[in-house]
Amino acid sequence: MKILVVDDSQIMRRIISNNLKSAGHSDIIEAGNGAEALEKMSGIELILTDWNMPVMDGLTFVKEVRKEQNYAKIPIIMVTTEGAKTEVMEALKNGVNNYIVKPFTPETLVEKLNATLGK
Amino acid sequence: MDAIYIDPFVEAVCNTMKTMLGEAPSRKELKTRNDNSAQGDVSGIVGFASNNVFGSVALSFPMETAIKSYNMMVGDNIDTFSDDVRDTVGELTNIVAGGAKKVYADQGLSFDISIPTIVVGKNHSLTHKGGTPVVTVPFSLGDYPFVLEISVKLGNGARFQNEKAKTQTVKCR
Repeated sequence: MKILVVDDSQIMRRIISNNLKSAGHSDIIEAGNGAEALEKMSGIELILTDWNMPVMDGLTFVKEVRKEQNYAKIPIIMVTTEGAKTEVMEALKNGVNNYIVKPFTPETLVEKLNATLGK
Repeated sequence: MDAIYIDPFVEAVCNTMKTMLGEAPSRKELKTRNDNSAQGDVSGIVGFASNNVFGSVALSFPMETAIKSYNMMVGDNIDTFSDDVRDTVGELTNIVAGGAKKVYADQGLSFDISIPTIVVGKNHSLTHKGGTPVVTVPFSLGDYPFVLEISVKLGNGARFQNEKAKTQTVKCR
């Protein structure tokens, strides 16, 4: 499964990617903001994205993804510091499938990943 | 500034370090500082603002602690400063700010947070949006100290919806 990890923090992208690899996923593409991520969408089957990023934030990126017919069904997990109920609801309303609030443990990420993929 | 407005930041540090580094830090009593001198060599600072709340929060690390934090966070074993260490400080500060933001929002005081700024260098300045005095809370991860700094100002009449929610001092461990 080809996975796109979007976060302006290189460290956070590395942590998420390492956790995904530990869970058996090795085909991982990274992007540092939503605009860069939109250019890397070809063949992507799952997205994990941060919210607060420069150039294009995660919510705007999600909205752009959901506008495209081809990407309408790609599962999206938001991984973000935004933990207030209003933010979570807004993300879900705009097409995010699951939500992880930072800080998170590897176990939480894998649990949400599996839940999103229906495992 | 009532401690209940500082506690969300302290709790966020405890939670962030325990979750991302695998170790809850110990803390000492809070102090204040009235100048712009950072206490560490690498600092991350995040501003926050709304109609009712504005200020900034920072984490300031001696170089050894910054490197140690990076190593703990990603399972590496480096001994020199790098862009990854810099990024680690920024991201930890970002997560702490986010943790406090949620508590403030639950208490009726929402705010937006900025993307972190990282400052590196001995004796660097750290100027907070809320001005001075700045509340400082010393922490340590074993033998590795670091400092949380908070400067927060509330608008006229702005307060937590439930100020009595917590009355005990936050202890990390």
